[in-house]
Parts: sequence; structure tokens; C-alpha cells
Amino acid sequence: MDTKTVNYQEEKKVYYKVLVGLLLLTAVTFIQPHMFMTHSTFLAQMLIAVVKAYLIVIYYMHLKGEKLITAMVWFALALVTVFFIIVIGIDVANFQFGAESHITTAAEHSAGAADATPAAH
Amino acid sequence: MGHEYVPEIATDRDGNQHEVQGWQGDFYGGKLGFWLFMLTEIMMFGAMFLALAYYNALHPQDFLDASASLNRLLGGTNTVILLVSALTMGLGLLKMRAGDVKGAKLMIWATIILATAFLIIKGFEWRAEYNHGIFLLHDKLLPESTLPFGQKLFFGLYFSMTGLHGVHIIIGIGLMLWLLKRINAGKVTTDHHILFWNIALYWDIVHLIWVFVFPYYYMIGAGGVTGGH
Repeated sequence: MDTKTVNYQEEKKVYYKVLVGLLLLTAVTFIQPHMFMTHSTFLAQMLIAVVKAYLIVIYYMHLKGEKLITAMVWFALALVTVFFIIVIGIDVANFQFGAESHITTAAEHSAGAADATPAAH
Repeated sequence: MGHEYVPEIATDRDGNQHEVQGWQGDFYGGKLGFWLFMLTEIMMFGAMFLALAYYNALHPQDFLDASASLNRLLGGTNTVILLVSALTMGLGLLKMRAGDVKGAKLMIWATIILATAFLIIKGFEWRAEYNHGIFLLHDKLLPESTLPFGQKLFFGLYFSMTGLHGVHIIIGIGLMLWLLKRINAGKVTTDHHILFWNIALYWDIVHLIWVFVFPYYYMIGAGGVTGGH
């Protein structure tokens, strides 16, 4: 991106348009659990977050047209995704130590304490 | 210490002299280097999200219950604050590039004020949680407490990740104050604004991380029946 030449009004307009888009998406974040995809709140929330992230990266972080840096970002994201697939998609999906593992069995002694959920504050 | 550019001369095999380009003029190199740093940030927070997803997969109901108890009003307010602060920082950079130094400095101050407001709200939120017995190594998060184990994990990660994010906000405020000092000293100008560019990028990554932290912690339990705001 050429940073020497500035079309101030044009670029300012883009900043405000993105702001409006991000505010709308934030509003959608709040109404989503009661309006749509109510049984897939996690998925819906993450999808909204990805759209927001895309707007921020492309327009606020000026990645539009930056081929090399974009490739670097994709590479880093791919690395993180590989670990997610290994840990969540393979390890957790085939979890074999439910009976022995502290991270799961500790829930047993608190099973009778389900009412111990902290009050909303 | 200044960064005055002193040209360095290198001689090639044929005896021709060439001026070595100083890093001061290498805008793209400066930007590329900072992006590499930001990728390490993505991988660091990515690892924390991985731990979060791992425990979430093992304790889905506990995570929903714990999420439902967080204060979405304060979390949402902070989301909007960060969103607007990303705009003010971006406009500041734009003003600097357009030659409006005074306007750029005003925008940096606006960003600092918004960042401070974020920290104050986060402080109130943490205090309320502490008063409800929810805090690291405190009351309901102690091993002997009867709070469901998955919720202990959720809150442990919540304080760790929002705490680390808060540290990034504090560092960001420090960087912006330093940027103001550099602008006042004439070291960051309309023609030489790589420092401003990179600090604006840093602020965007801080915002970007929050874009995922907020829904994962505050919103996943929003549709549940266990309460919340």
C-alpha cells in the first residue's frame, strides 16, 4: 500500500463505514442467542467474530492488496488450525481416560453441587 | 538517543560506491517485521484458545453455565469502547499521513482515554467477581470448593486471558504515550510515520483478540436458562 499519497476524505469514509459494520455486527452478537441459530450459539458467535476480524484485518490493518503479509497470516492461521484439529478433532474426540483423568473426574465430586453455579453479577 | 540517518558507503568488486540504505527509510521492512511479531501474538493467544476449546469440549455444560454468569453489559460496553478506540487510532494515523499533526495527537489522546476506560470497567468487573468469590486462588476457585470443576477451569482461563489482554492494553497505552513523545520531538512525521503505523497495528491486534475473547467468554451461555444479563 502506498502510504505517501493520502486521499483523506476517501479513507476517512472507509473507516466510518467499517465502524458502522462492526457496530452492527456487535448488535447482532447480542441478539443472536434469542433470534437465530439459538441451538448453535457457539458456532454463530464465532462466525460473527470471523466476519468482524475480516473487516478489521482488511481495512483497519490495511491488509488489502498485501500479498506477502497475507500469505504469512494464512500460514500462521493454518498452523494454529492444525493444532486445533489434532487436539480437539482427534485427541478430545477419542478421549480414553475419562475415568482416570483429573480434568474430567474432578467434576464427579462436584456433581451434587450443580446448584453452586455463581449468581449472575 | 536519536536516529539521525548517517549514510554508509559500500564498495562493490568493481570499485563502484553505493549508498547503503538505512532502515529508517525501509517502510515495508518495518511493517513486515512488525507483522511477524503480531503472528507470534496470534499463536500465543491461539494456544490459549486451544486450551479453552479443549476444556470446553470436556465440560460443555459447565462452560455454558459459567458463561451465563458473566456480566454481558460491562463486557459489551468494553467491546464498543475498543471498537471506537480502533477508529480513533486509525483516524490519527490517517491525519498524520495527511499532515495534520495536531489532529493526529488529539486522536492518540482519545485512544488513550478509551483504553483507560476499558481498564477501569474491567477493574469493576473483576472486583464484582471477586466479591462473588470468583477469582484466581480465591474462595470458589480453590480446589476444595464445590463449584463444578469445568466452571473452575472456565474462570481460571477467563482471568488468565482477560488479564493477559489487559496487560496488552497497558502496554498499548505506554506505546501511545511514547509515540506522542516521539511526535513532539519531531521524530515521527508525515513522511516518516512507520512507528505510528506499527503502534496502530498493535492496537488493532489488541482489538482483534478481544473480538474473539468477548463472544467465547460472555456470549456462549447467553441463550441458556441458568441466568445472566
